[in-house]
Amino acid sequence: MMTDGFLIVVALAGLVTLALKCAFIEGQQYFKLPPWFTESLEFVPPAVLCALVIPGIFQGDVGLVSAFGPVAVDPKPIAACIAAITFFATKKTIPTLIIGMVSLYAIYWLQF
Amino acid sequence: MLPLLPGIVPFGLIAGFTPVSFGYTWIDSIMGSLLMFAGASQLAAYQLMDEGASLWVILMTVAAINLRYVLYSASIAPYLANANRTSRLAAGYGLTDQIYSVCQRDYPTHDWNLNERIAYYGGGTLVLWLLWQLCTLVGALIGQVIPVFWSLEFMIPLTFLALALNTLKTNAHRVTALTGAGVSFLGLELPYNFGLMLGGLLGILAGVLYKRFSG
Repeated sequence: MMTDGFLIVVALAGLVTLALKCAFIEGQQYFKLPPWFTESLEFVPPAVLCALVIPGIFQGDVGLVSAFGPVAVDPKPIAACIAAITFFATKKTIPTLIIGMVSLYAIYWLQF
Repeated sequence: MLPLLPGIVPFGLIAGFTPVSFGYTWIDSIMGSLLMFAGASQLAAYQLMDEGASLWVILMTVAAINLRYVLYSASIAPYLANANRTSRLAAGYGLTDQIYSVCQRDYPTHDWNLNERIAYYGGGTLVLWLLWQLCTLVGALIGQVIPVFWSLEFMIPLTFLALALNTLKTNAHRVTALTGAGVSFLGLELPYNFGLMLGGLLGILAGVLYKRFSG
């Protein structure tokens, strides 16, 4: 079984991605990017990734809440802070993910 | 290339099980990885779909996250300029952070002809592509049996957090990140994920201005 709405979104997103990936391999004969554009590209990842983290941390409820009920303080922002500290200390992604998840569980169950 | 492969395994697993944890099927998940083949933007698209974001917000966000490929593409293009159209399109589809990093290192220092350059690019990309699709499949199948209370969907913001913190090379990048996060936070209640878009744009602007006026 496939989900139509999902497929349409990923197909269009795939086209956008392909267009960007091919932009120069295909289009180098036809156009040149303005300098202000290439200059600002280096700031796209920190800006967009940080903007994207926020709703994931402050909106919605994790599976724990839908399975076992709400707690007084949302564990997500605190777990994310602990994960951030872990990343600054280790510079590694996997420990950051593991400690972030463990913190999430711990902060939820401490309040349960 | 080989040292870069283990890093994509957990990311591929997350990309695989995320759609399943949001209630989509494992085939949907596979199609996401086949059609997009760009990890961070896949996760962003899935998260935004789950939040009920509109199509244009999803596409804009995907485009923003994948803008870096324009730069990669520009730097690789001269080496593949005389390849035929099929090879160029395949190279475009297969472009990743990983293959870019090895090609921009090795193309200038080796005296390869076009076929050798294509073989180098194609071989590395094929291995990476197969591993990514395999991890997606495994992740999607695991996702179907992991109970919801594991809250694995929280790994998406954690992954973005780690990716974001990894980009904070200079003060200009830090200003960018703080602005992006701050504006996104203030705009949480705005409709159509407008806060997210505004955070991204003002973050970039803040970084450019900081760099320009700080020296």
